[in-house]
Amino acid sequence: MTIRAIAAGVVASLLFAVPLAHAQEKKAAAPAADMSGLWIVQDPGSGSWAEWFDNVPKPTLQPDIIADNQRIVASETAGNVVNRMPRTAACPVGNLPMMMASSPPLNIVASRDEVLIGSESGRGRFIYTDGRSHPDVKDPSYVPSGFGHSIGHWEGDTLVIDTIGFPPRVCDSRRPVMLVPGGGRAKDTTHLVERFRLAGPDELSVTFTWEDSTVFLAPHTYSYTYKRLAEGIPIENNEEPGAQPQQQYTTEKAQK
Amino acid sequence: MAFRRFAALLVVFTWSISAFAQSGATTARPDISGYWELRFDSFNVPRASLTTAAQGALEMRRSKDQDAIRGCVNVGMPAVMDDRGVLDIRQSPSVVGMVARAPSSTRYIYTDGRKHPDAEELEGTTNGHSIGRWQGEVLVVDTVGFNERGITAIPGGGYRTSRSHLTESYRLAASADQLTVTFTWTDATVFRTPHSYTLRYYKVRSIPEPRVLNCIQNDADRARFLTDRPVPARF
Repeated sequence: MTIRAIAAGVVASLLFAVPLAHAQEKKAAAPAADMSGLWIVQDPGSGSWAEWFDNVPKPTLQPDIIADNQRIVASETAGNVVNRMPRTAACPVGNLPMMMASSPPLNIVASRDEVLIGSESGRGRFIYTDGRSHPDVKDPSYVPSGFGHSIGHWEGDTLVIDTIGFPPRVCDSRRPVMLVPGGGRAKDTTHLVERFRLAGPDELSVTFTWEDSTVFLAPHTYSYTYKRLAEGIPIENNEEPGAQPQQQYTTEKAQK
Repeated sequence: MAFRRFAALLVVFTWSISAFAQSGATTARPDISGYWELRFDSFNVPRASLTTAAQGALEMRRSKDQDAIRGCVNVGMPAVMDDRGVLDIRQSPSVVGMVARAPSSTRYIYTDGRKHPDAEELEGTTNGHSIGRWQGEVLVVDTVGFNERGITAIPGGGYRTSRSHLTESYRLAASADQLTVTFTWTDATVFRTPHSYTLRYYKVRSIPEPRVLNCIQNDADRARFLTDRPVPARF
């Protein structure tokens, strides 16, 4: 009887105590791979931002998006290449598709509950991996940013990030909605899934899949490869007081 | 009787496994990740002993700091650590990232064993270049390579210059809900003796959204509010 009681106790303990001890770990799995570091996107060398940005498989777009793209091209051909919209406190900050495609390296810190992705030393995206859900991005209290709201989880060695909550418009007189590589848009109805995976110790692969029935006729998928900049030193953006808004400065610089 | 034995064994075995799991956690490197805030009782800041030159430069430095606030310049160290907003600290095996509420760059502390770059390769930044190493359960951080932009005021007196050297020690309380950081600044142009002070951060469960602060230097209403020259936090 005593032996049976001991055996039952041991079995019961294993059944109940071990899961309790590891409950905290299950809540938020530790990163399967440390993606922390500086990562620079591998541009095939087009030499042109516009060509590079659109150097992805072509999405199938809604007719009104195609027409809007044609209008933008005509406007820029006519010389409207400078953003003349004033930057106010109401303007959404950030631009996820542009940041992920730009040459300033991504700066990633991957902790268990949250992943930071900035550009150089600039602050940028916050990806919550602590098991939380998205907020109600249609609630008036939600303030959208150009980085959207991102939550992530690990599927084996792949970090899967789900993002919604982009702003409906941005403060840019030339193209008032964020562009997605290939000619799409990222706005309040858009959903993005990214899959981050280390293809090697110094190579990061990111696959983007954009969905928005008001923009795309089918999900739009493309991938970027990033190379690690070992011991790179992130550059700090130090805009001088009184300088023109950074967005305008960057645009003009890119146009030259 | 058998039931009582069973219950006793269950309690003992559960405790054993729980203790084993916890012992494994405590022998690992502490994880200082989380959202941290300073409270009214968070500041143990003695007055700094300043050089004569530094005392003479205080007004000019204060004016520069006010201009930085007006201009939405990245505030930099040490303001990112004491701006009263929630500080987001994220620790990976190779680097610790810190995001303050104030307009600022992300602060990175490299814990992968690297050294500071050679001085000629290091362009000064508001946060400087930080490397850290674990001494037991204390993270010791060494920072050089500052510039003189942003808010340069240091708690207790003095200011950050390109010659400043900062050492910090981060110690997580056993309960993991408090983080104590001791800062020690050395700079022969500013301090007669190394200037040390300690801040204690309390863990908070959530952080206000949105996480991106939109500081618009040309905002007319903001400019009107700041007409009377803003004063950086003093200690």
